Amino acid sequence: MNKAIKVTIVGAAALLVAAVGIAKSVPYWFAPKMDNPPTVNIHDPELIAKGEYYARVADCVACHTAPGGKPFAGGLGMQTPLGAIYSTNITPDPETGIGNYSYADFERAVRRGVRPDNVSLYPAMPSVSYMIAKDDEIEAMYAYFMSAVEPVRQDNQASTIPWPANMRWPLAWWQLIFAQPREFAEDPTLTAQQNHGAYLVEGLAHCGACHTPRGIGFQEKSLSNRDSEQFLAGSVLEGWYAKSLRNEGVGLAIWSEDEIVEFLRTGRTHHTAAFGSMSDVVEKSTQYFTDEDLQAIASFLKTLQPRSGYAVDWQPNDDTTTAKLRSGNITEPGEIIYIQECATCHRLDGKGAPRVFPALAGNSIVFAEDPSSLIQVTLAGAKMADTKYDMMAFTMPGFYHLSNQDLADVLNFIRTGWGNHGSTISTRDIARMRRVVDHAPEHYVPQAAIREGAHHE
Amino acid sequence: MNKGTVSIIAIAVVVVAAWMWNESRYYDAPATPALTVVDADGNAVGEYRPPLARDMLAEENADSIIYGMRLLNETARLLPDNVGNGLNCNSCHMAQGKRPLGAPYINTINDYPKFMGRPQAVLNIQERINGCFRRSMNGTPIDESSEEMQAMVDYMDWLRGDVEKGHRVDIKNMEYFKVAEYTPDPVRGEEIYVQQCAACHGANGEGMKDQFGDFIFPALWGDESFNLGAGMARMSRASPFVLHNMPIGVGLDAPLGQITLSKQDAVDVSAYFTVKPRPDFPDKIYDWPGVPKPADFRSH
Ligand code: HEC
Ligand code: HEC
Ligand code: HEC
Ligand code: HEC
Ligand code: HEC
Repeated sequence: MNKAIKVTIVGAAALLVAAVGIAKSVPYWFAPKMDNPPTVNIHDPELIAKGEYYARVADCVACHTAPGGKPFAGGLGMQTPLGAIYSTNITPDPETGIGNYSYADFERAVRRGVRPDNVSLYPAMPSVSYMIAKDDEIEAMYAYFMSAVEPVRQDNQASTIPWPANMRWPLAWWQLIFAQPREFAEDPTLTAQQNHGAYLVEGLAHCGACHTPRGIGFQEKSLSNRDSEQFLAGSVLEGWYAKSLRNEGVGLAIWSEDEIVEFLRTGRTHHTAAFGSMSDVVEKSTQYFTDEDLQAIASFLKTLQPRSGYAVDWQPNDDTTTAKLRSGNITEPGEIIYIQECATCHRLDGKGAPRVFPALAGNSIVFAEDPSSLIQVTLAGAKMADTKYDMMAFTMPGFYHLSNQDLADVLNFIRTGWGNHGSTISTRDIARMRRVVDHAPEHYVPQAAIREGAHHE
Repeated sequence: MNKGTVSIIAIAVVVVAAWMWNESRYYDAPATPALTVVDADGNAVGEYRPPLARDMLAEENADSIIYGMRLLNETARLLPDNVGNGLNCNSCHMAQGKRPLGAPYINTINDYPKFMGRPQAVLNIQERINGCFRRSMNGTPIDESSEEMQAMVDYMDWLRGDVEKGHRVDIKNMEYFKVAEYTPDPVRGEEIYVQQCAACHGANGEGMKDQFGDFIFPALWGDESFNLGAGMARMSRASPFVLHNMPIGVGLDAPLGQITLSKQDAVDVSAYFTVKPRPDFPDKIYDWPGVPKPADFRSH
């Protein structure tokens, strides 16, 4: 062997050993267990009640419960490019759950994303957001989880990511680079209410986990509005495009504070409805927020300036579609497919039915820059959030059986109909999303747990 | 790197890209499952798939088919002189007449002329359509030779595809309930109505209108609903219709996200809404001439 090659190989091996070694040491000095943990009275009913509320705000239940599984028992699959990872059992079961966690263990897992055995967690667990939560909030949640959550014996499911990609030590490097300790900093230009809203949005409510674009390392490009205008600027996760929440045309510019509050509380407004992962967020989390917290969030979101280069408002073109469809001047495949497949619910005027079927006219998800959500909702269907505010929660049926060409035609029709204007969708875009829908992760619910669950009810 | 390596890498990149392009290109919807076409003796003689909406545009008589489709969808608005309530034909003939258990038009052209018990006579398709105009639509018949009648027939004929006369598509129609077999509980029916129907059909069965005053969700009783002579006024018909077709927008299955209720739920809720006040049909006294009237005949 040539000497240069030898040196390269030895050097690379040494670097690797160093990389692994440093990574393994990271949790000890970068995110150590806290020194003098407070004693938390986990039996204090008031503390438990508070903890339950904070856990709702943080939506722990959404990720840590599989469909049909027991609350907090884990098993929800999350798609990554390399395979599925599964959320874990965080019920107080001592063997399979977190029953043996001390308060310091809990605090470290939630805020720093490190397990008691000094292993880093995947960033799917939104510790970068939870990091700014106040001590009393974490303590209250600890009391709630330890005393009020029903323990469930359910082993954790291993990820389907193949070796070597499933090694966890690179996650420590990730944390070192992307999860630097931070605290919430008030913005002096905002009101106290708006600052409270910012605190919730950046922290426990972790809106940015879905709405902030992610960088090459899967890190949120910005964790607060002070960092950059990428904060809440729109992102795709598991094929759902969570649109921009900034005050720009493609964002929330046309939404009033009251509408935001109504949407977060009930999952609907008169012209739109939450779907996909947002429907879950409303159903499990935001519907339970206090009025005060919802107002604060809405008020804060309305302070977010548009990104530079983005129009402040969105002007619809003239609506010529309604008259065309009503007069029967039907010439395009997209129009006729719409009439046959969609118009019963979304109507010829594209206005749907208030609180039953969302409008497509003027609905920013329809003409969003990124059509992922639009395509996925049409292919796979979606269910609205079921909340106590409406008697029924409605479902959009899936149109997977329509060909790529039919779907492209009908979606381009609604994207440019009724004054909407958006870029053209191709049949390849449809094929790409068909693949995402087909490869949605399977969730892990042991049969025994289902039987037991059914028995308990 | 030498030229050889570069070209191997280049070829590999091109091959992988071409493969990916090809894959996504052909990654399309699975083939639509076919329904069996049978002859008069029930022997399978072919296959049927509902024609694609887009193909309508290429038909020779596209204008008439499209007009027919619109008339069936927007009857109240387009034919105000003949429709006496707020309904459209497709308020009951679900999903453009394409849904097997939703009073479909799939076999209609081939099944008529047909003997019907109610008039004790053989009706042709035009007469059958006008039956729905007088009863379900609480209106007046349209001219059998009108452009409108021809358009509706043309739509149904298009839907038949290439199934020949004498053959039928082997679909199950809704099975009429035998009224004596069920004990309806209208009180329970009201509860079901409030929980599963009222969001669309209104707390008082009044339905919901759009900005133009056309119905989004049809009325289930009152002046804007079907009259006493309509099939839907009878428990034997209303129950299976509701069983298979209502509510919509609650399940993931196309076309309309319908679910199947339990038979008892369907009976109970139908017993609640069918007996609510609705337009009379004075000519009902001429129905079932010379034969006993069915158990669920509506005299009032
Ligand atoms: C967006 C999804 C998501 C949310 C929200 C979330 N988690 Fe997690 N959490 C995960 C995933 C995924 C893992 C497993 C990560 C791994 O295996 O590396 C995890 C792991 C954990 C662990 C480590 C358990 C162990 O010992 O393995 C704890 C503790 C935990 N979460 C607590 C919480 C609490 C408390 C909340 C609410 C405050 C919460 N999580 C909210 C996704 C989430
Ligand atoms: C689990 C991912 C996720 C989280 C967390 C999340 N969202 Fe969303 N959100 C989405 C998706 C996906 C959409 C697009 C689907 C839709 O419009 O309902 C969306 C849409 C929205 C919309 C726009 C609805 C419309 O029709 O235009 C608003 C407003 C919104 N989210 C606010 C929030 C706020 C505020 C938070 C934090 C409390 C939040 N979201 C947290 C995923 C998420
Ligand atoms: C049975 C009634 C029904 C039919 C038919 C239907 N939809 Fe929907 N659609 C819904 C419901 C209900 C929702 C709300 C889903 C949710 O919030 O999870 C919805 C939501 C949507 C949305 C997201 C808008 C938003 O703000 O929530 C789009 C886009 C959409 N439908 C497009 C279509 C297209 C295109 C077709 C025809 C191919 C179609 N729909 C057919 C009922 C229907
Ligand atoms: C209130 C509900 C309702 C309305 C509105 C309605 N129909 Fe019907 N129609 C029915 C029912 C129920 C049947 C019996 C279907 C069955 O048994 O499958 C029927 C049967 C028919 C048939 C016979 C189908 C066959 O193959 O035997 C035709 C044709 C028809 N209707 C056309 C129309 C037309 C055209 C209109 C509008 C002018 C209309 N209907 C309006 C309820 C309705
Ligand atoms: C999501 C809205 C929705 C719900 C919920 C719903 N319907 Fe309907 N219903 C419709 C629509 C829309 C039509 C007309 C079909 C069409 O236009 O394609 C209809 C038609 C009908 C018809 C035939 C037309 C008429 O007016 O006579 C009956 C009967 C009916 N529904 C009964 C019910 C009953 C009973 C329930 C509750 C079990 C129910 N519906 C729940 C939307 C709904």
